[in-house]
Amino acid sequence: MRLTQHSGVLNNGEVDEMSEYAIEVNNIYVTFNTYSGKVHAVRGISFKVRQGETLAIVGESGSGKSVTAKTIMGILSKNANIEQGSVMYQGRDLLTYSDDQMSAIRGSEIGMIFQDPMSSLNPVMKIGKQITEALRLKQKMSKTAAKDKALQLMKDVGIDQVEKRYNQYPFQFSGGMRQRIVIAVTLACNPRVLICDEPTTALDVTVQSKILELIKELQRKRNMAVIYITHDLGVVANVADTVAVLYAGRIVERGSVEDIFYNPKSPYAMALLASMPDLETDTQRELYAIPGTPPNMLFPPQGDAFASRNQFALNIDFAEQPPEFNVSKSHVVSTWLMHPDAPEVVPSDFVNRHVASQDANYSKSAHIDYQEKVLQVKSLKQYFTSGIGKNRLTVKAVDDISFDIFRGETFGLVGESGCGKTTTGRAIIRLYEPTAGTVIFNGRNLALKMKDRERREATRGIEMIFQDPITSLNPRMTVKEIIGEGLRINKLCQSEDEMMEMIYSILDVVGLTKEHATRYPHEFSGGQRQRIGVARALVTNPELIIADEPVSALDVSVQAQVLNLMNSIKKKLGLTILFIAHDLSVVKYFSDRIGVMYYGKLVEVAEAEELYRNPLHPYTISLLSAIPHPNPKYEKTRKLIKYDPKMHDYGDKNVSFTEIKPGHFIRCSNEELHQYLAKIK
Amino acid sequence: MIRYTVQRLILIALTLFLIVSIAFITVRMMPGSFLKSRNLPEDVRLIIENKYHLHEPLIVQYKYFVSDFLRGNFGVSLGLQPKVPVFDILKQKIPITLQLNLFALILIIPLATIFGITTALKKNQLYDHIANVLVIIAISVPSFVFASLMQFNLAYRAGWFPILLSTEKALTWSKFHSMILPIIALSVGAIAGLTRYVRAELAENLNSEFMLLAKAKGLKQIQAVFRHAIRNSFIPLANMIIPLFMGILGGSLIIEQIFGIPGTGPLMISAINANDDPVTIAVLFFYSIIGLTSILLIDLSYGVIDPRIRMGGKR
Repeated sequence: MRLTQHSGVLNNGEVDEMSEYAIEVNNIYVTFNTYSGKVHAVRGISFKVRQGETLAIVGESGSGKSVTAKTIMGILSKNANIEQGSVMYQGRDLLTYSDDQMSAIRGSEIGMIFQDPMSSLNPVMKIGKQITEALRLKQKMSKTAAKDKALQLMKDVGIDQVEKRYNQYPFQFSGGMRQRIVIAVTLACNPRVLICDEPTTALDVTVQSKILELIKELQRKRNMAVIYITHDLGVVANVADTVAVLYAGRIVERGSVEDIFYNPKSPYAMALLASMPDLETDTQRELYAIPGTPPNMLFPPQGDAFASRNQFALNIDFAEQPPEFNVSKSHVVSTWLMHPDAPEVVPSDFVNRHVASQDANYSKSAHIDYQEKVLQVKSLKQYFTSGIGKNRLTVKAVDDISFDIFRGETFGLVGESGCGKTTTGRAIIRLYEPTAGTVIFNGRNLALKMKDRERREATRGIEMIFQDPITSLNPRMTVKEIIGEGLRINKLCQSEDEMMEMIYSILDVVGLTKEHATRYPHEFSGGQRQRIGVARALVTNPELIIADEPVSALDVSVQAQVLNLMNSIKKKLGLTILFIAHDLSVVKYFSDRIGVMYYGKLVEVAEAEELYRNPLHPYTISLLSAIPHPNPKYEKTRKLIKYDPKMHDYGDKNVSFTEIKPGHFIRCSNEELHQYLAKIK
Repeated sequence: MIRYTVQRLILIALTLFLIVSIAFITVRMMPGSFLKSRNLPEDVRLIIENKYHLHEPLIVQYKYFVSDFLRGNFGVSLGLQPKVPVFDILKQKIPITLQLNLFALILIIPLATIFGITTALKKNQLYDHIANVLVIIAISVPSFVFASLMQFNLAYRAGWFPILLSTEKALTWSKFHSMILPIIALSVGAIAGLTRYVRAELAENLNSEFMLLAKAKGLKQIQAVFRHAIRNSFIPLANMIIPLFMGILGGSLIIEQIFGIPGTGPLMISAINANDDPVTIAVLFFYSIIGLTSILLIDLSYGVIDPRIRMGGKR
């Protein structure tokens, strides 16, 4: 059922202007039929993109970004209804097209890249065939011509040995390479409009900046219009010419990238920018967090959807949807704050009001006791082997790393995926049996071979928080059971009443209520689930918490809430945290000291500020250069410094982990040490 | 690939040996023996005991059994058709059972695939709902009920098919005509089970990201389904065919009884009843060979369908 209404915008006078825009989306409204009712995913979104221009659509999960993209492509799922609106492409409304008619538009006129390169390629089809498929079927190209074109495309997206690669399967490529293949597939039929749906979210930062460069370069060469969907403001600052900020299915603010980042007018955009920790964020104060959670789109709120989370909301915000105000010719914002009668609110108000309300003596480092080491890791090795005899394969996931964590400290461990940071955490808590080395906690060496009971005894006092709050909580257990399990297993309570008492008090600490105790995990939002995960870890009163990417699955606004929560609990309970993450800005904000890992080795350890100001190891420098900042001026000039691992092929040279100045350790050979020392002076 | 195949063949030989040994021991441990029969004169019993070493301890008998077995000698039948070599009995019975099973398989796989694909494409529409009800009926009603119902209604009352299997040796039209009902009875449950499986797998693959990309690059829905979704949903399907085939074999035990088919099913039942140990073991051996060969074929076909297995890669 498709209720298309031409919104009349194009009918008179503006027909001439039409060709100026590559694609125009007019007032589309999309709902989904679900078992619990009608979800209003997109509620009247309009935008226009010029040829050669990049529009970034930003918003948290559930704000309707992907739905908008899929509506343009005509690949919405079956339970979706397009209630109204039009998508104008070269004077035609794509929403009136049938699925078969749309297949002529898709790929050859409008292409789309998806989020997860691991699952968007057919695993059992050679990549060459996947690239040429559309050419052969739609353009009826001959086999050899299609192959030539595909090889050229593969070269264009930066794949070498194309002849050989042409006949390989997706599983033989890494994530970044697969995303390049997806781009090649998408560009095969020369689309004029390219939609990128979070194309780098699943990738490492260094890979991300390469892919971003690639998309920009291809856009320049082919003069494509690009619609770039992301939740990462840093990426937006890098790629976008214009930005549309989405909240609860509506565009709340739209303008040039400078307008949005330097002169945001809508409360949501201001709050979003304030809640992102970047490398410049003052680590000694609490992060600004948007309170509450996004609205339930089954019942879209009346008035401004953001009003309930906005501390500056006016009465009218709760009653009436704000109209669009023009700030300048390009900058349109939808908020009552722009009304002449409204009080003036500027972005810094969000931060200042927040700073004023918080503890005057909020300070992280004051709680660290540098005399007492909670955890000492010495030459820890964790190898995984498979196969026997000639086929024996050893993966050195963690290869000889050493570090200490002091009482009350947060030690951050960063690195790309596959560098062994998660393995390190798991080896410490003895989910794996370490191959060699010592891990000293509470005077006992955890890395020894132990009986099951001994191991449980020894690792008591270490708890873990996992990355994915959805899969790490058993869906068949209530919150009460999930949290109480640790108490029961470790026999920390005498009676059922005492257990409930402890569960209630810990729920209170993480900001949940008694009523939540009897519910199941699926009844909570992502941020609340991670709070349950934190409560589960805290209830046994541990000394050390290993937090494995605890916020990377969360939205920006929720991420800030969880980080603040962990910080305040840490201070209250005197916890020590090993914080494992790949997001350098979060690690920088959250940690006191940081260790950088690369392929199983710890290459540099220093205090957070020091590591960021004076990175020494080439890999650290490369990693820092790859982080996108939510600052367009910086982003336009940012250069990715590439790290060539070959330079650290030491052979049989003597390599050591040396303290180059107090508190700053680096892995280097003797010659390099002199170079580094010269660099510091 | 060759190395893998050889490895598998060695493993299969080992498994077969184990199965036969276990069969030998369990069959011997069953209560009763055809020697205990009252009609058997004492002297004859002694002669037979000596001839087949039946007075020796089980372990020694096992040694004789293994050495005979390795030479391909299954011995002679004791109870059913005395003195006839077991091998000759099997040679008469196996072809008809195999015929029946292969015909059933030929019917099951294409039909289940077609029903599975169509229901997945029309998921949650009327066609799908009707098919689902039929599938559940077909799975939950045992095959012998279908067999009896069809025999009564279609063969006896309507007279469209012969009631029992034709006794002709060669596969003629009239013989095939009489095989139709047993084949259908064998297939119904399996078609239903497989349909459900294909539908679930395909429905999952239809919602996968690579289907989105296939559509995004401009393929029509039907092209995207056939080129991308179907092959991927066949990978786990191959695994289903092993238990399926063993299921048909097991089902044919009863179906053969109902339609009076002189196959291995009735042979096994009467051999067990008559305490005819060599025949019982030989039939078990035949079933194991079928099972293991189908496992081998399917493992090898994985490599053809899924390059990740062929090249030893991971997802």
